[in-house]
Amino acid sequence: MTPEVLTLSETPWLYTGVMLVKIIVAFVATLLIVAYATYAERKIIGRMQTRMGPNMTGPKGLLQPIADGLKLFFKEDIIPSQAHWFAFILAPMMILAPAFISISVIPFGGDLQFSYDGILYAVPMQITDLNIGVLFIVAMAGLGVYGIVLAGLASNSKYALLGGIRSTAQMVSYELAVGLSIVAIFMLSETLSLRGIVAAQQLPLWGLESVSFIPNWYIFCQPLAFGLFVIGSMAEINRTPFDLPEAETELVSGFCTEYSAMKYALFFMAEYANMITVSAIATTLFLGGWGGPFYGWINFLIKVFAFMFFFIWIRATFPRLRYDQLMFLGWKIMLPLALVNIVITGIAILLW
Amino acid sequence: MFKEFAKGLSITLKHLLPGNCTTVQYPKQKLEMPPRFRGLHRLIPTPDREKCVACYLCPTVCPAKCITVVAAENEAGEKYPAVFEIDILRCIFCGYCVEACPMEAIEMTDAYELANFSRDDFHFDKQRLLKP
Amino acid sequence: MAANTETMTINMGPQHPSTHGVLQLILELDGEIVVKATPHIGFLHRGIEKLSEHRTYHQTIPLTDRLDYLAPMSNNLGYVLAVEKLLGITDEIPERVQRIRVIMTELTRLKSHLVWLACHALDIGAMTVFLYCFRERECITDIYEKVSGARMTSNYFRVGGLADDLPDGLEGEIRTFVESMPAHVEEYEGLLTGNRIWQKRTIGVGEISAEAAIDIGITGPSLRASGVDWDLRRDNPYCGYEDYDFDVPVRTGCDTFDRYRVRLDEMRQSVRIILQALDKLKPGPILADCPKIVLPPKQDVVNNIESLIHHFKIVTEGFKTEPGEIYQGIEAPKGELGFYLIADGSAYPFRMKIRPPSFVNLQGLPQMVEGKLLADVIAVIGTLDIVLGEIDR
Ligand code: SF4
Ligand code: SF4
Repeated sequence: MTPEVLTLSETPWLYTGVMLVKIIVAFVATLLIVAYATYAERKIIGRMQTRMGPNMTGPKGLLQPIADGLKLFFKEDIIPSQAHWFAFILAPMMILAPAFISISVIPFGGDLQFSYDGILYAVPMQITDLNIGVLFIVAMAGLGVYGIVLAGLASNSKYALLGGIRSTAQMVSYELAVGLSIVAIFMLSETLSLRGIVAAQQLPLWGLESVSFIPNWYIFCQPLAFGLFVIGSMAEINRTPFDLPEAETELVSGFCTEYSAMKYALFFMAEYANMITVSAIATTLFLGGWGGPFYGWINFLIKVFAFMFFFIWIRATFPRLRYDQLMFLGWKIMLPLALVNIVITGIAILLW
Repeated sequence: MFKEFAKGLSITLKHLLPGNCTTVQYPKQKLEMPPRFRGLHRLIPTPDREKCVACYLCPTVCPAKCITVVAAENEAGEKYPAVFEIDILRCIFCGYCVEACPMEAIEMTDAYELANFSRDDFHFDKQRLLKP
Repeated sequence: MAANTETMTINMGPQHPSTHGVLQLILELDGEIVVKATPHIGFLHRGIEKLSEHRTYHQTIPLTDRLDYLAPMSNNLGYVLAVEKLLGITDEIPERVQRIRVIMTELTRLKSHLVWLACHALDIGAMTVFLYCFRERECITDIYEKVSGARMTSNYFRVGGLADDLPDGLEGEIRTFVESMPAHVEEYEGLLTGNRIWQKRTIGVGEISAEAAIDIGITGPSLRASGVDWDLRRDNPYCGYEDYDFDVPVRTGCDTFDRYRVRLDEMRQSVRIILQALDKLKPGPILADCPKIVLPPKQDVVNNIESLIHHFKIVTEGFKTEPGEIYQGIEAPKGELGFYLIADGSAYPFRMKIRPPSFVNLQGLPQMVEGKLLADVIAVIGTLDIVLGEIDR
């Protein structure tokens, strides 16, 4: 019996219910990962720096993220008198929302089958499978910039302003490189749907049956695009070595200098949510999504966590680039490389 | 270039392994202070009084001028400090008072947790200084 | 249409994460480019020079701890040497004292350079180096604590000698630590020297030519990185530095990267000096034989009336010097630290003038950063290795 696909028109209640469950699960999981990403980061960097990281709150410090959240929640919320209060309040939300929304198009597993009323239904483990999924993600990443600009401007502080400007320039220029680097992917996959891209990666490498144990992950045929994507997204989410907008030693705290309490926590969460999103996208586009030896979403999470570890590891090791060098890297190295990659991929597709 | 990046990454990764931690769990675990440590002062007592003979050397030598001594004579005709006070807020813990004392009547202990809630708590009078 | 542009003035400091204390920089920015940088100092002024006029020579030693608080023993040494020169007892200092002074000041150099490297790297974003450096610095502060009783404000050297001998077993401990040091320096280098990002951030940043450096009066590693081969330990030796075999690292890049490499090389040279000094260390007295100047040993004070009288006299009145003026400079970790004393024959100096290396080196900052980017200001503040305790005095 082939499973039926749930649709809104035929089984509206069931459809809505399943959708809600998916949204809640994905949202809560992301929130939890965000909370524990901060913990993991502090713990891992601590260990790398011969420290211990949090270890007092709860067993092994496991309750630290919750304690931090509570603390920030109950702190006094200060709006500087010279700030524009509406924009000032709006900014953190505008950063957080796009960071979470991107999760909605990412497939974290294969189909889930269940029978209801004697009919077998298949539910994709993905909130929604947009046929322009990749574009949607790129668009959401673009929206995130507004929050930062707004935060920088609304604070009416020079350090925040500088941070905001830096950040805008940085995100705009790296978005180009990142966007172009993934163009090569959908030239190969011939679809913009993330689900389709993952499905294309489950085939054996280059369609060769002799090496069928190696999957056709795009990291193998697009290593350059992968490199560009990882570097570019580190820049886009303001991680070291590209964390100039909040370069603590230069700009105090960059665009969030004037923020406190829960609003500050929102920025903080957005940063980590972005990290998760980017890891998830990289997993989907280059590492074959949920494909792998274990059950669907477990593979997916393993890959995402590996990426996040990598980002944390980089942060513990590298110094920070300078503003002009960052721009140079973005426009004069990464952008041409991404273009060259597209051309080569195009030629290769034509010849085979 | 990539070799150097990898080298840096390998150094941090190496430290991730257990056994590289240098943290001392401070309030739970305290370090042993070396014998010469210059912490809070203590007046050394004899069985019936303090060793100090109120010779005024320590208030004189103190660069921060934070010791107050008032000499008096007891029934046996011996000099003793009627008042001996150290204002720890002004003290710079130089150790000169210990060095100057001809009677070895003052010493510096290994107490370093001197935080307190009010300024008055930092005036150490004779009774408090005599406590072990 | 001509764009209507104006520059932006920002206050960097005195409360800012990377001005290394309470330095205030008024920066005029055109976008991210620094048009003008004006350092404002004085937030940490405690009037040490003036205070010393009302303290005996002996009582000023703990005040010098608070000059460059990252290198207290170097300050102690500079001051003590100056007073000894004023008293004319420089030649009477016992050999053991000289050796211990060299060991301790070279450890101080390591200590100071470690903090410099830690903060400099942190400013540029390499967090981990910070903690590795502080791990080693901790060993040095432990040694400090065992020797002098304090982790930072050592107050260990005395006019005519030392406060106390090295405690038992410490020589071995110093040796073990110092021998492990080159490997640690390798580790820092592994994280930084070859790293492209580090190179990009430091090469060609904060350049200052040898002539300009000499004109301003920059000394220490910053001068040697501009190609001027000048080190007081070798060129105007004190404390028996002529006995030791060491190189003076000189580089010609004039930039932040070369200043970084000069300091790392200096750390290796300090290790060499300490090991030689440990080898040459022999038992002996730790105070000069000048009963009018140095305090007698404690057991004599209790048992010997003559010593007791000396003790009372020195403690209450201090010692008098001949009227005169002297200058004594030493090669402190940050450059030439000089003490200029004018004595009027009393037990107090008539005037003491300190030449702090950081104060003079800071004068090079505007030249190094103007026309550069905001991020370079941070790199340059780091590379100059300034300590505000010393600048404001
Ligand atoms: S330690 Fe120094 S400052 Fe403190 S009381 Fe003694 S002499 Fe005075
Ligand atoms: S120097 Fe010693 S004996 Fe003299 S007043 Fe001070 S503590 Fe007492």
